[in-house]
Amino acid sequence: MREIVVPGEAVADRPVRMHNTYIDGGKTYAATVGLFDREHNEIIPLEGGWVPHIEDVVVGIVKTSKNSVYEIDLSYFKRSILIASKFERHPLKVGEAIEASIKDIEDRKTIILYRERVLNGGTMMEVKASKVPRIIGKNSTMVNQISELTGASITVGRNGIVWLRGGNVELAAEAILKIENEAHIKGLTERIRMMLEDRTRKGE
Amino acid sequence: MASLANKPDLIVNGKRIDGRDFDELRPIKIEAGMLKNADGSAYVEWGNNKILAGVYGPKEVFPRHMADPAKAIIKCRYTMAPFSSLAEHGRTGPNRRAIEISKVTKEVFENVVMLNEFPNSEIDIFIEVLQGDGGTRAAGITAASVALANAGIYMRDLVYAVSAGRIEDKIVLDFNMIEDNYSEADMPIAVAPRNNEILLLQMDGGLTREQLKQAIGMVLEAGKKISAMQKEALNENYRKVAEQYGQK
Repeated sequence: MREIVVPGEAVADRPVRMHNTYIDGGKTYAATVGLFDREHNEIIPLEGGWVPHIEDVVVGIVKTSKNSVYEIDLSYFKRSILIASKFERHPLKVGEAIEASIKDIEDRKTIILYRERVLNGGTMMEVKASKVPRIIGKNSTMVNQISELTGASITVGRNGIVWLRGGNVELAAEAILKIENEAHIKGLTERIRMMLEDRTRKGE
Repeated sequence: MASLANKPDLIVNGKRIDGRDFDELRPIKIEAGMLKNADGSAYVEWGNNKILAGVYGPKEVFPRHMADPAKAIIKCRYTMAPFSSLAEHGRTGPNRRAIEISKVTKEVFENVVMLNEFPNSEIDIFIEVLQGDGGTRAAGITAASVALANAGIYMRDLVYAVSAGRIEDKIVLDFNMIEDNYSEADMPIAVAPRNNEILLLQMDGGLTREQLKQAIGMVLEAGKKISAMQKEALNENYRKVAEQYGQK
């Protein structure tokens, strides 16, 4: 059972540690618009931007390159940089798309990236950052399903940038937009599978 | 304008000038998230008031030196469109009155937005009055609060605001423009409904202690309806999509 909650709505009569909530006077209240799952005691936010956390996987574009320090455009307001490793064989070029993880957030100001991987060619699309967990799915089930059925290789960044290449890119992008729109309705994985199978059969 | 010489009868046969009871709100319609380019938005029709609110953020602070490494800062701009009221409002942009309203609105939201969740960033609130008919600051706060929730900004509560006041010796809720101009006292109040905290209270005119209590009681009673409408507005977008699949 899931219900939509709004800020200030009580979700528990006792203090519970939960994301997207706050505790006041021995009770727990929702702090954002989201779906409250009573069984798992969690709130899945329906709106909101990305808040960077350490170990988040992100997708961005190399903006500048100077003295082995790259500035990466994550379409986020905080500066993010990537320091080239000592053993770097192929330096990154400005304009290249990369996938990387967040190593640290320095002074709450600068995002430091590491474990970069160059994404050659392909297409990028922007989605709502609040819908990224649903696009990835539990244990990446959703994103694996899409790439299996469309043949596209997909990288989803927590910052709301999705990179696609190969296979039926258009269909994969359509599926991702459908998830973005219908993330709050039950049976999402099943619906996306049906849609993809249906469309690939028609194409043949 | 308002002067005693041409004052109309504000109460006729126990009803107000627009036929409402003393504790009756004007018809309210709230819509959330209809501006695609803003992070969050809301549109409120409150009687003849038509108000748009848009929210951006969290984003980079500008100018940079205003950035606070411990928390976010809020900026608010309330403006009335040149065509918003009976007399022309002159050129667009904030005037003395608008700057005051922007300031008090900002202070309302500084109390409910969880600022320490967004260090080094800025949250912008824009309130545009397209058509004004009294009580625009209250309707603006109500709209901005829905827009903030629509933007997914962490808040402790969904604030509403409504005005109350006095016509002769009667306490009356939700003034329109004529009542506002000729009444004896006008008092916009913003409330956080979770524990009925009062976040804004301005008063023009005078009330006795008992009258003030009565007015606040009236506001809290009417606030339940406004809160329900705000919630409804936020839920509606999601329900529309869900209905396609025959779910609740």
